[in-house]
Amino acid sequence: MKRALVKKLHKASLLATAGAFAASGLVLALPAQGAPVAPGWSETKQLTRDTWYVGAGEFKPFHESRSVTVSVDKTTNLRGRQPVTVSWTGAAPSGGRAANPYGENGIAQERPVLIMQCRGIDDPTLPLAKQLRPETCWTSTDFQRSMTNKDESEAIWTRDPAATDAEKTQTSGLTPYPDTSVCPTAGGVNPADPTASTGSSYNHLTPFVSKAGTVFPACDAQHMPPEAAVGAAFPPAEVAAFTDAAGQGSVKFEVRSDVENESLGCNYKVACSIVVIPIMGTSCTLPTGVSPGQQDPADTACASGGHYPIGSASDGTAGDLAVSPLLWWTPSNWANRFSIPITFGLPPDTCDVLDPRPPTGFYGSELLAQASLQWAPAYCLNKHRFKYQHNQMPDAAGFQLMQNGGAPAAEVSSLHDAGAGDPVAYAPTAITGFGIGYIIDKPENKGEYENLRLTPRLLAKLLTQSYLGSAYGRGHPGMGANPVSMNVDPEFTALNPHLSLTEQEAAATVLSLSESSDVIEQLTDYIGHDPKAMAFISGKPDEWGMVVNPRYRDLDLPTPEWPLLDNYIPETTDSCRQANPAVYFTQLAAPVTRLLTIAQALIDAWPNVQTKCDTDVSTTPPTYKPGRVNRQSYGSRFMLGVISLGDAARYGIRTAALQTKPGTFVEPTLSSLGKAVQLMKQGKPLEPFTLDQGDARTSGSAYPGTMVVYTAARTQHLDPADADKVAEFIHISTTEGQQPGSGNGELPDGFLPISKNGVTAKLYDASQVAATAIQAQFVPATPTPTPTATPTSNPTQDPGDTTLPGSEPSAAPTVPAATSTGPAPITDDVPAPMAATAAVTSPMGNWLLPVLLGVGILGGLVASATRVALAVRR
Amino acid sequence: MSTVLEKPGRRQAGRAPSGERAQKQPREKRPPRPQRAPRPKRPYTQGEETLAVFSSAFTMITIVCLWMAAQLLFLGNLSQDRAQGLLYTELRTQLASLTAPTGPIVPVGDPVAVISAPKIGLQQVVVEGTASGDLLAGPGHRRDTPLPGQEGISLVYGRGTSYGAPFGDVTRLVKGDHIEVVMAQGRITFTVLDVRRTNDPIPPPPAAGEARLTLVTAEGAGWLGKYVSAGSAVYVDAEAKKAFPAPAGRPGAVPESEKAMANDKGALPLLALALGCLVALTLGVIAARQRWSTALVWVIASPLAVALAWATTDVVMRLLPNLI
Repeated sequence: MKRALVKKLHKASLLATAGAFAASGLVLALPAQGAPVAPGWSETKQLTRDTWYVGAGEFKPFHESRSVTVSVDKTTNLRGRQPVTVSWTGAAPSGGRAANPYGENGIAQERPVLIMQCRGIDDPTLPLAKQLRPETCWTSTDFQRSMTNKDESEAIWTRDPAATDAEKTQTSGLTPYPDTSVCPTAGGVNPADPTASTGSSYNHLTPFVSKAGTVFPACDAQHMPPEAAVGAAFPPAEVAAFTDAAGQGSVKFEVRSDVENESLGCNYKVACSIVVIPIMGTSCTLPTGVSPGQQDPADTACASGGHYPIGSASDGTAGDLAVSPLLWWTPSNWANRFSIPITFGLPPDTCDVLDPRPPTGFYGSELLAQASLQWAPAYCLNKHRFKYQHNQMPDAAGFQLMQNGGAPAAEVSSLHDAGAGDPVAYAPTAITGFGIGYIIDKPENKGEYENLRLTPRLLAKLLTQSYLGSAYGRGHPGMGANPVSMNVDPEFTALNPHLSLTEQEAAATVLSLSESSDVIEQLTDYIGHDPKAMAFISGKPDEWGMVVNPRYRDLDLPTPEWPLLDNYIPETTDSCRQANPAVYFTQLAAPVTRLLTIAQALIDAWPNVQTKCDTDVSTTPPTYKPGRVNRQSYGSRFMLGVISLGDAARYGIRTAALQTKPGTFVEPTLSSLGKAVQLMKQGKPLEPFTLDQGDARTSGSAYPGTMVVYTAARTQHLDPADADKVAEFIHISTTEGQQPGSGNGELPDGFLPISKNGVTAKLYDASQVAATAIQAQFVPATPTPTPTATPTSNPTQDPGDTTLPGSEPSAAPTVPAATSTGPAPITDDVPAPMAATAAVTSPMGNWLLPVLLGVGILGGLVASATRVALAVRR
Repeated sequence: MSTVLEKPGRRQAGRAPSGERAQKQPREKRPPRPQRAPRPKRPYTQGEETLAVFSSAFTMITIVCLWMAAQLLFLGNLSQDRAQGLLYTELRTQLASLTAPTGPIVPVGDPVAVISAPKIGLQQVVVEGTASGDLLAGPGHRRDTPLPGQEGISLVYGRGTSYGAPFGDVTRLVKGDHIEVVMAQGRITFTVLDVRRTNDPIPPPPAAGEARLTLVTAEGAGWLGKYVSAGSAVYVDAEAKKAFPAPAGRPGAVPESEKAMANDKGALPLLALALGCLVALTLGVIAARQRWSTALVWVIASPLAVALAWATTDVVMRLLPNLI
């Protein structure tokens, strides 16, 4: 069933207009050459509104019709929080534009395009539970779906020609209608006094039916699903988007899976849809029995066409109700809907749920996370394959775990020191990289900035905490004259003109990793190859007099772990900060442990700046609450973070173009990644390829953040079963795993496919060689001496070399007789606890004293004899 | 070194170097000195000269070898005995004042436990560290194992023939004999499992909460092995059903020089210094003899010579396997 659906969507995608792709903000989402077209969706529909006007002293019908085309770029295998781009043409131009169109903030606009996520498919032949209805559409507040306690003049839904008789009454929408014990303000019957008047208010409820079947009346905030609580974990996704004067528009709509929104309950089994309603206005019946001018206020309100001019911004007053997105559920508006069926990919825990086999863990780089998400089900759902599990941890830690035998393989992005351990082979597994993700709004609500360009020196300034952040940073010794934030730095404004010049703390930092990572290693290597950036770090002021934070002067680059060196605690009169003194620049930087956390902060435009300090004066003494600043408001967002290209593509986060040669800026695209792969060189067979940032600088077109993720495993002493699994993984991931797509086992966006031909061929070859070496577990020609070999066979002058198996204390903890767990990797310890005592001998110990005594006595005799002989001769 | 100088017995020891060049009449009667009365009647002939040098050389070899053997077998006993006495007092004080070490890190050379096996008349203070030099003072506790009596396998190394041969008799222990250990955390009695030699099976590790004490020493083969030869390591395993908790944080390994039958090459510079001192003393004696009377030189030089010889031998011991 799902397969068929995907096929159908695939067909539809061929019809998709090119506009759907052009509108996509994702550079990496663009299909690669020869790759299948991304599964999109498009439909054109005739939308209508029937209302009336007064002409020649009587009411005359007014029919408005528009041909609207809606396109969506991705509809299959979506993941929670993944944005899809919805674009449209031919819609009614909007008015009263809101700065933030999401959730309740968008309801004051006129004729926007409302986009919601709803459970079910728009197919009347399906059982009701699987059908799309207004009751299954998600809104994050009750007043986006219900009209309660309205005056008759506002009850324009009762004038809808398609409204049933029940819907024309004072209380409608839910049968039986809730009484006042449930919904006190919705005009219901008072159960204590059923005959009392229910008042003159008009009410319409659009209840929400959760996945579990619970009906939430949605008459007030208390009767909404838990995910709609005030300050819910995720910001609203439904959006009332703006259409320009030409009738076009596009917006990124974030889909939610049942992980984010359980009540909505969309997942790979529960079909859902995106519902797009270009609001034209509620249709109205012609007033009857009255002459023009005498009609009801509700009739007048219903026929309204809005008071905001086309393209205007909101002045704070609400738009006319008849053309607002509030009445999306009226029969006439609902009939104008586009329903785009979407499917969700398998959730991250699929393998844990569906496959009881023990997983084989691959440990390391988070760069591979999005690929692993799609790859894992291709292993665990196939009984002939092992159960692949990717556990994210710092590259170095994963490598060490692999070396110690704690994991069959590690996922790393650079050469790690194997030390004296077993030799390790590196198999290229995926080509991706890091990016400087950003979310920056152009001033005056002109939309998002899309062409951020950064130089290594700007990154150095951000990372070295050389921007002041706010007045608190101004007292920092040695750099008080620096710009407060990057957006007012002349170097930045020259590259990125026309952005807001309002200083803000979040623009003084780039959210980065606190842990050691190959990503930071490469990022700092990139900075380290730029003479200007290094001159800045070594203390030379830039052309505008900005100097490096003295604590970071002469920092050694590259480094796998960015240090937090500042120790400046500002002096302040703020009692909260006095009570919670903290290093201000560390609060600004506040690095996190995972790249995904950074990506999520960027999706939410919620900087991880920890400088907020709230004082609750209602208690004595006052309570202080330091913490993270608020989400940035729509229209003035400015935030940067180091993210993986996989996350950037998945979550639609823009990534900055980085400077290579002076004046040349390279965005992460499949071709710039390929250019970088072209520059990569392999030191020795089985070793990783390295990208010399100096080469990337001279090339000018290679993206400096390109990184290859390697599967690293030992080529000796690896359990044969594990070796087979690692080799299998390398074979599968470099062939079937390199097919671009969003399905199980396919390569997601943000990765450059490795293929047998072209620039990536050398990586493919290297991976096959490494797979063979790992599977073979060959013993190299030069035998490495193992410590246990010496004692019995070769008693040497230095018996200190000998070990004492079994009696060795180091052997005692590692060889517990009873609790031997699983197939322990082969180590140099004695395998069996009952081993024989090894010989520890010393020839010197045997012969020292006898020889001393013998030589002594002999010598004495000889000496005496010669003495006697001498005496005799004389 | 100062302890060495206080030792009684240096009188006898002082005798040894006297044989060669002392012209003065010694008090003792031992060396059958050739008649001194006829002073050199005529110069040595070429053959006699060679013979005299030959004789002197062999005398020196004899002195060096016998002094060494004597220090290993007898003189070392004295210094070991004295060191044990001091260590015993020190540990006793520490036990009484509850300052005795419990690990995991104990300064090398400090006393950590008293080990006694009444059957073989063993009573020794165990010091921390198993390098050859540490074992001159008594049995040594290997530093990467728990202290004797603590949970786990603790190794105690002891010399088998030299320097008091504290573990010379441990191979006489048989299954069921008791070994008693007193350490900071209390008193504990081990029961001997067996004596273990090369190729004997290693007993399984002790269960959690039990203590294992393995005494390690060296023994030789044949009739020589009874007294003077000690070339292969031998183990005595003993077990106690209850154990004291072992603090975490022990080092994971010990230097090569602290393993069984290892020597401590770190003593080489010290040996060079000691030999240099001996050369300096010789030159000093030659110089002194041209100014002072023979009696005076004798009185001054002989204690110095004995002390230096003693100290040098102690350094040489560090270059020899630690268990002999």
